[in-house]
Amino acid sequence: MPIVLQNIFRFILLVLFQVLVLNNIQFLGYINPYVYILFILALPVQTPRWFALVLAFALGLTIDAFSNTMGMHAFAAVMVAFLRNGTIKLFTAIEEGNNPTPSFHTFGVSAYVKYVVLLIFVHHATLFLLEAFSFYHFWLLLAKIVLSSFVTVLLVLGIQSLNKK
Amino acid sequence: MKNLINFLIQYSVVFLFLFLEVISFTMIVKNQEYQKSIFLSSSNSAVSGMYEWSNSVVEFFKLRAANDNLSEENTALKNQIINLENKLSTLEPRTKDSIHFRIPPEMEYQFISAKVINSSTNKLQNYITLNKGTRDGIRPDMGVISDEGVVGIVKTVNDKFAVVIPILNPKIEINCKFKRSNYSGPLDWSGEDYRYANLKDIARHVELALGDTLITSGYTSTFPEGIPVGNIEDFKIKESDAYYNIKVKLAVNFRTLSHVKVINYLNYKEQKDLEKASEEQNN
Repeated sequence: MPIVLQNIFRFILLVLFQVLVLNNIQFLGYINPYVYILFILALPVQTPRWFALVLAFALGLTIDAFSNTMGMHAFAAVMVAFLRNGTIKLFTAIEEGNNPTPSFHTFGVSAYVKYVVLLIFVHHATLFLLEAFSFYHFWLLLAKIVLSSFVTVLLVLGIQSLNKK
Repeated sequence: MKNLINFLIQYSVVFLFLFLEVISFTMIVKNQEYQKSIFLSSSNSAVSGMYEWSNSVVEFFKLRAANDNLSEENTALKNQIINLENKLSTLEPRTKDSIHFRIPPEMEYQFISAKVINSSTNKLQNYITLNKGTRDGIRPDMGVISDEGVVGIVKTVNDKFAVVIPILNPKIEINCKFKRSNYSGPLDWSGEDYRYANLKDIARHVELALGDTLITSGYTSTFPEGIPVGNIEDFKIKESDAYYNIKVKLAVNFRTLSHVKVINYLNYKEQKDLEKASEEQNN
């Protein structure tokens, strides 16, 4: 499947999954996984940075439209898209000219897990901080960020390990 | 100037990043005035269309609760109808015989709706458990019906639950009669098939037809007259027998039973007391 088509499908599927299934989950009152961010994580490595930013913004706005949280997801998603390239450089040594899609195969298991964990944590932290807009319930906030990140990471790694290639 | 342009190009991504973040942030802050952002919120037609679709899926799983509600409401309405009928019948001028102006006994009952939480159909002696008990006004010996017909009789009750002996238990016999001819006899269960029971004591001179409807006789205080019990599926009589052997298809499907109504006969105590008193007099 051409890479563009693949990404369009991924976009649609992740948004539907997020909006129709995960947004209805409020496990234990803390855990609210946001798996849609996998779309940004799984963009090909050499995607132009400006384009990744625009895509992230569009993705965030789509999620926002469905969850009545104007701008919050857009903000967090753009943040992740911005930090993505730096993170990839930090953990992996992809040669110039190669344009792999991030996965266990292309990054190696340990590098990919680090990449996913870091970015998802950044995303969730940004998102929940924006939602709370203060440090008032600091420990509760921290619990929400850590637990939700954990669940999202599990889901993302689970989805990725289903991908054979 | 050239330096500035170079600088801008070099950091264009950062600028785009900042630009997008500022937009998002402005939206978040502006969103405080909620109405301004109706655009792109879930009142948006595409979004709401999708939610409607998703809701139609989810609704399916909520049908159970809806059913419960409807059944409660149904019972309340039925009670209301009976109350009104009672009132109406006291107001109606009776036939010349002015002694008969008391409310007909079959109207002096109320329904208590209940849900079946446990039941069996495949044993020799089957029981049904209901989710209501004395707290809700259920007493032993009350009749239990569903929308289809007669279910059984309440046997034991505790605070929150009641155990019903259904027709599918040889311990009870329910007296029923033919809607067409008024001949009556006891119905009992043979223990084989949850769909069928046997009617006894119908003498050979009675005319029968396949499909004749059986209703409760109203001779006991448990069931009012006229609640459907079943239809004649098959009947046989040997030359030497005085009574028919009648196979009845029960009106209620005990396998799918979920909501029932317990009949609260309001004059239960009075009738029992009177009957007891007259029996004692005879002795």
